[in-house]
Amino acid sequence: MEENTKKVIKEEGDARVYEVGYLLSNAIEEGDVAAEYGNLKELVSSLGGEIISDEMPKDIELAYTIEKVIANIKHKFNNAYFGWVKFAMDPEKVLELKKKLDLDVKIVRFLILKTVRENTVATKKFARATEGGAVTKKYTPKIRAEGEEVPEINKEEIDKEIDAMIEA
Amino acid sequence: MKQDYFSSNNIKHIDYKDTDILKKFINANGKIMSHKRTGVTSKNQRQLALAIKHSRFMGLLPFVAR
Repeated sequence: MEENTKKVIKEEGDARVYEVGYLLSNAIEEGDVAAEYGNLKELVSSLGGEIISDEMPKDIELAYTIEKVIANIKHKFNNAYFGWVKFAMDPEKVLELKKKLDLDVKIVRFLILKTVRENTVATKKFARATEGGAVTKKYTPKIRAEGEEVPEINKEEIDKEIDAMIEA
Repeated sequence: MKQDYFSSNNIKHIDYKDTDILKKFINANGKIMSHKRTGVTSKNQRQLALAIKHSRFMGLLPFVAR
């Protein structure tokens, strides 16, 4: 039992949390994107990575034209599928992952970053924060000092005043 | 003085994928706004600049616009 816990601690100590963001070429058909996404996740797990979270590649319009030379032919991309995977992996294995991704012709670009286990995408958190955290001022009637007199309101006078205002 | 956007919204890690947030901190030409204009703390400004640069590399934000 003790050995097991020690092992777990050791494994967790060795692994680091990384994230790979990637752009898949828009030359692949939409149906094959899911397969490509599955392959990438498999590749990560085959290198001993524990997948924490991910997102399906989505077709996006790029902010600028990205050029990439594939097999001596320059390709230009204005659209691509952008997806990402967050995982915990041994730091030495990440180099291998990088080499494998470098060879993948379907990936236009990718970015490996060190990150944290928690969700870093703020938009979702954000929506929740504004929902629960929205400060709505409660109406609290002013507490009058005991001695203070409340000015009495004469209904008839107010009615007259309102009528006068409407007429004017 | 403007308040730090990230601490007031409880954002600890500035993510390069959050383009909606990052777009607030680039000007019409796509340049990163200065400390002075953003009012973000130095620590967060450094993180912010890095996030914008990562985002640019992935084609999510422009290097130059217009």
